[in-house]
Amino acid sequence: MPDPTAESQTAAAGKINASSPAGAPRIGVYVCECGGNIGETVRCEQVANALGKLANVTIARHYQFMCSDPGQKLITDDITEKGVNRVVVGACSLFLHEQTFRKTVERAGLNPYLYYHIGLREQDSWVHHECPADATAKAIRMMSAGIAKARLMQPLAPVHLDADQRVLVIGGGVAGLRAALSIARRGLPVTLIEKSHFLGGHVAQWEHLFPTDEDAAALLEGLIEEVIAESKITIYTGAEVVSTKGYVGNFDIRIRVQPRGVAKDFAAVDQAIAACPVQVPDEFNFGLTQRKAIYQPYVGCYPASPVIDREHCTRCNECLRVGQNGGIRLDEPPVEIDLKVGAVVVATGFRPYEPFAGEMGYGEFPEVITLPQLERLLATNDRLEWNARPVRRLAMIHCVGSRQIEGMHAPQPDGKVNDYCSRVCCTATLSAANRIHTRFPNVTIYDVYQDIRTYGRGHEDYYVRACKNGVTFLRHLPEEIPEVIRSEKGAEYPLLVKVKDRLTWGEEIELPVDLVVLSVGIMPSPISDLVDMLKIAPGNDRFLLEVHPKLRPVETAVAGVVLAGTAQGPMTVQESCAAAEAAATKVAVLLSRGKVELEPYVAQVDPERCQGVGECVCVCPQEGAIHLETRIENGKMLRRAVVTAANCNGCGVCVSVCPSRAIDVQGWRLDGFEAMVEAITAETPALEGVA
Amino acid sequence: MAADRLQVDTIVIGGGIAGMQAALDLADQGYRVALVEKNPSVGGKMIGLSKVFPTLDCCSCITTPKMAAVAYHDNIDLLTYSEVQSVSRNEQGFVVQVLKKPRYVIDDACTGCRSCELVCPLDLPDDANEFGRTAHRVIYVPFTTAVPQKALIDIDQCVFCGKCLQACPSDAIDFSQLPAFLEIQARSIILATGYQVTRYDAKKQYGAGKLRNVIDGLMMERLLAPTGPYGRVLRPSDGKQPASIAYVQCAGSRDETLGVPYCSRVCCMYAIKQAMLLSGMLPLADITIYYMDIRTFGKGYEQFYRSAQAMGITFVKGKVARITEDADQNPTVRVELIDDHSQVVERKHDLVVLSVGMLPGGDPQALYGVPTSEDGFVRIPNYNVAPATTTQEGVFATGTAIGPMDIVDSIVTASAAAAEVSAYLQSHYAAGSLTDAERSLIHA
Repeated sequence: MPDPTAESQTAAAGKINASSPAGAPRIGVYVCECGGNIGETVRCEQVANALGKLANVTIARHYQFMCSDPGQKLITDDITEKGVNRVVVGACSLFLHEQTFRKTVERAGLNPYLYYHIGLREQDSWVHHECPADATAKAIRMMSAGIAKARLMQPLAPVHLDADQRVLVIGGGVAGLRAALSIARRGLPVTLIEKSHFLGGHVAQWEHLFPTDEDAAALLEGLIEEVIAESKITIYTGAEVVSTKGYVGNFDIRIRVQPRGVAKDFAAVDQAIAACPVQVPDEFNFGLTQRKAIYQPYVGCYPASPVIDREHCTRCNECLRVGQNGGIRLDEPPVEIDLKVGAVVVATGFRPYEPFAGEMGYGEFPEVITLPQLERLLATNDRLEWNARPVRRLAMIHCVGSRQIEGMHAPQPDGKVNDYCSRVCCTATLSAANRIHTRFPNVTIYDVYQDIRTYGRGHEDYYVRACKNGVTFLRHLPEEIPEVIRSEKGAEYPLLVKVKDRLTWGEEIELPVDLVVLSVGIMPSPISDLVDMLKIAPGNDRFLLEVHPKLRPVETAVAGVVLAGTAQGPMTVQESCAAAEAAATKVAVLLSRGKVELEPYVAQVDPERCQGVGECVCVCPQEGAIHLETRIENGKMLRRAVVTAANCNGCGVCVSVCPSRAIDVQGWRLDGFEAMVEAITAETPALEGVA
Repeated sequence: MAADRLQVDTIVIGGGIAGMQAALDLADQGYRVALVEKNPSVGGKMIGLSKVFPTLDCCSCITTPKMAAVAYHDNIDLLTYSEVQSVSRNEQGFVVQVLKKPRYVIDDACTGCRSCELVCPLDLPDDANEFGRTAHRVIYVPFTTAVPQKALIDIDQCVFCGKCLQACPSDAIDFSQLPAFLEIQARSIILATGYQVTRYDAKKQYGAGKLRNVIDGLMMERLLAPTGPYGRVLRPSDGKQPASIAYVQCAGSRDETLGVPYCSRVCCMYAIKQAMLLSGMLPLADITIYYMDIRTFGKGYEQFYRSAQAMGITFVKGKVARITEDADQNPTVRVELIDDHSQVVERKHDLVVLSVGMLPGGDPQALYGVPTSEDGFVRIPNYNVAPATTTQEGVFATGTAIGPMDIVDSIVTASAAAAEVSAYLQSHYAAGSLTDAERSLIHA
């Protein structure tokens, strides 16, 4: 059945007025006060008055919020009533509201590219807030340059291209699964790839999930079942992106799929695993146990067939001897697959912070473990024991690898500390504490913290319950980091946790314990290759950066590449799923009509001037953007450069090398730049060009 | 203007930031959306705020373009000053009866020129937007950036002098306007009914609202906003510029005596943000934040907290036990300084701000049959995986209707709700339950 929304989309898209306005430019100039952001520094009324005197300026106004409806109405009224045919707005950055004002002028029947945006906030008022007079003068210069450009602006039409509707979701954890499901249910085909050989990500490793106390395995199983049942989703495990090309609507992405090395119908799984002599730390249990080189991470994993860990397999062939010829294929090569997709969802997830050797005794004393390790310990044991000894007293220490302070904490290899809050660890720690209390009521639990951040819906209950369960809370200041030391020989408890506790008047307290659990923070998965290939950017905290936390919270600066889940920052399962669904919505908005719209800022060749030298073709960095064509005209053979708009990204390198100035970038023509430079450097900018 | 009967894919209840975002996300995909807002303008609570954390964008920069977008979108029918009267199910989903309250101003005729405001002889306290600190006329446009920019008359206060009738250049005044009823056939419903703040006069230990220089966070937002009543920060009792300002955290949350045991999630950040804005406006003022735990958990929030500390804002660990006032109406807080050997002290400030929390904006049980959880917010049965789907088929909820959250999270969950709704709609259309004839009724 055809998409029922297709028709109304076409209707909604409307038609752009591409005709050039008749007569001389009549420019409307609008200076936004941006609340006080601009108006408290730049004297907007003075700017408007000065600009109103310039040639071709029909009207110059200032207003508190140009982006608001009444502000926009000033513009549309001037277009319809005063015959304004070019619009210049001085406001926030064009990043924030260029689209807003394009729609405004379009609504009034003007071509949207006959509007020009000057960033008075970021480039003027915010950086010069201490010198209002100079900032006002600068605003006049900046805006008179915009007016100079506006005089030369011509109508443009965006480039419309057919878009591939398939979406690539990278990452098969809870966010990737949720995103894939939502996109497929919206009607778009999905390819879901997961780097490991099993779906589920970290959620598979947790026992219970807050705030619902539901069984993590059951939640995951339900979600995976839904994903498998969805015919529009194709899944590859053991798969990674190896190269990317293209742009929104038309990405060419090559993935490499590592073989499992084990046939799907291989029946002698248990025997093969038993036969394997290799022992390596089991990452699923965070190194608490060992696994073989042929393994399944856990019972109920998907896909269920085991996989051969090629890095550790010694090719001893023991597994081959258990029978079923051809069931095990040690020499199967990886397969590369080319995908054509319209958009990419990055759901590459997180990794738990790995404490440094010796950090709070980690790696130094075997009785110091991390919270993820404790989760595995609880999930796989009926008793709470460590090193074959029952755990009677336990200390949990928060903020290990989070809220770090420069100079006090050891930095990561990139030289930075983790100065952010990891958001989930407080409730996760208290959830574990409460479960321990329920299952092992005689265990004494100490909770060493700075602030308890049980912020989310239902989270505070865990704190209240932990208090009722008799968990002892000790609060330290950020700069007074607790210490974990070895107890004296013969002491009853192997470790001592030293805390300067602010809840008992700053007393130095020593806690003798059997086990210390470090509540480690969240760091993004190491995906620098993927980040480079997709040309997206991480923020200061190394998590992937959104365009704007409120305006475009799951989109990256690369059109068609969106974020889902903890690749963007620490999140709970619920928050990851919400972000993944938001990503699905953004993808649906982009691709559901099967077309994408690209900016018209592409190179344009003047065939009269072009000599067919071909310098432009040599320097062009974009494949297929510009080429030479030969044609016969009046019996003469002519060579001329021709631009393929879909492949051009408007970088302008060709413009700079053309010996005959035959190329310009539409919307950013050289004459426009020249006029702007002249206006900005004019002796008396406000009076320049007065008729 | 909307017809008497409307057929849409989704009806969104609530025109705050979450409702607007969900409506836009669905309309941008080609679905027909009706957006119903009970107030005369969309924008919700957010449009009344000052700057918003953690980017310190002015809230208008984020909100007003979305307000304009919902008003002009071809696929959205915007119904302001309208309330849902009843909801029933039929084979095509829901029949929603909406009451359009009379503005006594003809929508289509009013241009928002505000000539009527200039001639109206009566002023009323602006309780809705400014806590009564400023006034508006009996006929008024709700606020400068309101959408739609249409006047309305507070008919109970009007003396029918007829001045507006004469002043209106477009004959838009109609004293005889009656409520209008509109029937909306909707395949699905999104509840974006938002929140209300916990009452600042609820706690007798904090003066029960009787101490004049004790205000709440939302009132402070107005004092800080460029569109606010004074354009600067003045304390209520005597109009003095405060030199010492204190924030009392968890003044309406994490407090079983108020029936609000949960964390309201936004108060730490808004207090820190306000403190930062205040220290910009009043560089010499002392600003203290009394807290139980600082919960700056979001992306960039911890760094925001650190910046506030670096700016000289004082953070004191301790739950304020009591607020009293002296003869000059200076509020005095009694608090245990936990980090300073737990001394109990009394400290005088010029102005105290109660960081009030969030309560649900309404109970959806009666109209929509949607149950709430113990905390009063909409119950979401599959909370972790389907965070917008309620127990009622075809009814979804988002934003602060499903629990306290900040603007960033409201916007993300609104887009998430749009995903769940579009999947739901697709499953129905794939099954062919909406005929072409029915679709052609859209916007009939």
